[in-house]
Amino acid sequence: MNIEITDLTRRFGRNQAVAGVSLHAGPGVFGLLGPNGAGKTTLLRMMATVIPPTTGRLRLLGRDPGTYGPRREVRRRLGYLPQNLGYYPGFTVAEFVEYFALLKEMPAARVPAAVATAVERVDLGGRARTKLRTLSGGMLRRVGIAQAIVNEPELLLLDEPTAGLDPEQRVRFRALLRELGQRATVVVSTHLVEDVGAACSQVALMDEGKIVFDGTPGELTARGTEQGTGDAPLERGYTAVLAAARA
Amino acid sequence: MSDPCHDGDVDLDRVWISVAAQVWRRQPGWLERTAGRLLRSPGLARALLTTPSLLLPWLLTSIAVLAAGAAATTDSRQPLVALLAPAVAAAAIAYCYGPGIDPAWELSCSMAVSDRMVLLTRALAVFGVNAVLGLAASAASAASASGPGSGTAAAVTFGWLIPMTAVCAFALAVATVTRSASAGATAGTGAWLITVLSGRVASGHFAAAATDTVLFLPYLAIGAVCAAVALYATRIPRGTL
Repeated sequence: MNIEITDLTRRFGRNQAVAGVSLHAGPGVFGLLGPNGAGKTTLLRMMATVIPPTTGRLRLLGRDPGTYGPRREVRRRLGYLPQNLGYYPGFTVAEFVEYFALLKEMPAARVPAAVATAVERVDLGGRARTKLRTLSGGMLRRVGIAQAIVNEPELLLLDEPTAGLDPEQRVRFRALLRELGQRATVVVSTHLVEDVGAACSQVALMDEGKIVFDGTPGELTARGTEQGTGDAPLERGYTAVLAAARA
Repeated sequence: MSDPCHDGDVDLDRVWISVAAQVWRRQPGWLERTAGRLLRSPGLARALLTTPSLLLPWLLTSIAVLAAGAAATTDSRQPLVALLAPAVAAAAIAYCYGPGIDPAWELSCSMAVSDRMVLLTRALAVFGVNAVLGLAASAASAASASGPGSGTAAAVTFGWLIPMTAVCAFALAVATVTRSASAGATAGTGAWLITVLSGRVASGHFAAAATDTVLFLPYLAIGAVCAAVALYATRIPRGTL
């Protein structure tokens, strides 16, 4: 298992953002669904080792990231796309991806080819030497994805990766997700149930800091056959599970 | 048996990636290469060279302020460089710290090269650069004040390095605790201003805060405490991640 989470909590003052989450995931694409404020981003930030949990146990790639050595090793094998990707306006696409490849401690000799591969995989080859300040929001999102995959991570955490992508890019991105999920654990936090249906083999649904559903997209769809609202079967499953959790 | 036609095939994707890697690769300058060798980390060297307070506009501004201080020292016979250098360095040190000034801070916190190591490297480099700038300004003002051939080296003062250390540590501690570079810069320069004014009121001497040797021990104690606070504020609690 690349992700082993047991009773994880995270508080911000009086607000409990994550309230006792347990989760296990191996290679494949894992969708994390939920309404705004459900705790998806906080859970992802803990998995990205950006913030520590308040309580609970977290093991990533078979290591305990609570200590310096294992945490550094996890981070070398980690890819992370935050919800709000900050960027350096004066950097080019290739420079930005290269910067984070170096911070991930990739061997310097491997970096140029890895950068070229990552930039091509997100279809930004034609913009590799363009300054980030001139790119559209969707292109910046793809730059963020490129930096996340540049080290061919074993654990890839993507927070709202398709926000700002046009439909054609979203379709290509889902194909990329499926390809990456063949060897890595890919966790995708999203509001878009159609992304989950198209690309994920497992899905968890969060609400008010807890996981209220954990299963396959097919099982989530089945929950909506008799109740739930929405245009698509998966949407009806999503709303039915949320309604049951809040009842 | 392998097909000779396939043996001669060219993987165009692979060829293109090789070409793109060469075309897009950035050639690091001599400074980055040297820093990479010294730090034994190309990533840390790159992070060091992206420090806002080590970029050319910031350095030029610092040089201009200290040059003005050196010129005013010559005219007024007051050691203004000794008073300006800690404030300039405090602001620069505060802007080593990521939140609020580093747009990709969230991402940087998930990197193998730790944000704490980046901060430490940046802080030491900024302190060193500002110490050199301050010493150069001090030497320039001493040279012009003493006149040619009067032993200018002896007239260069080093005493302000100690208060500069304390003020820099204070600015860094505030920046890391509040997670705001601006708060750190304001606190550092503000605290130094209050210290200078208090020194003048207490002793009647304008530069007492930078030259009174009685204050050196308290400055060192404050520097040590603030450095400890900065290290504590940037830790990740062991065993709870």
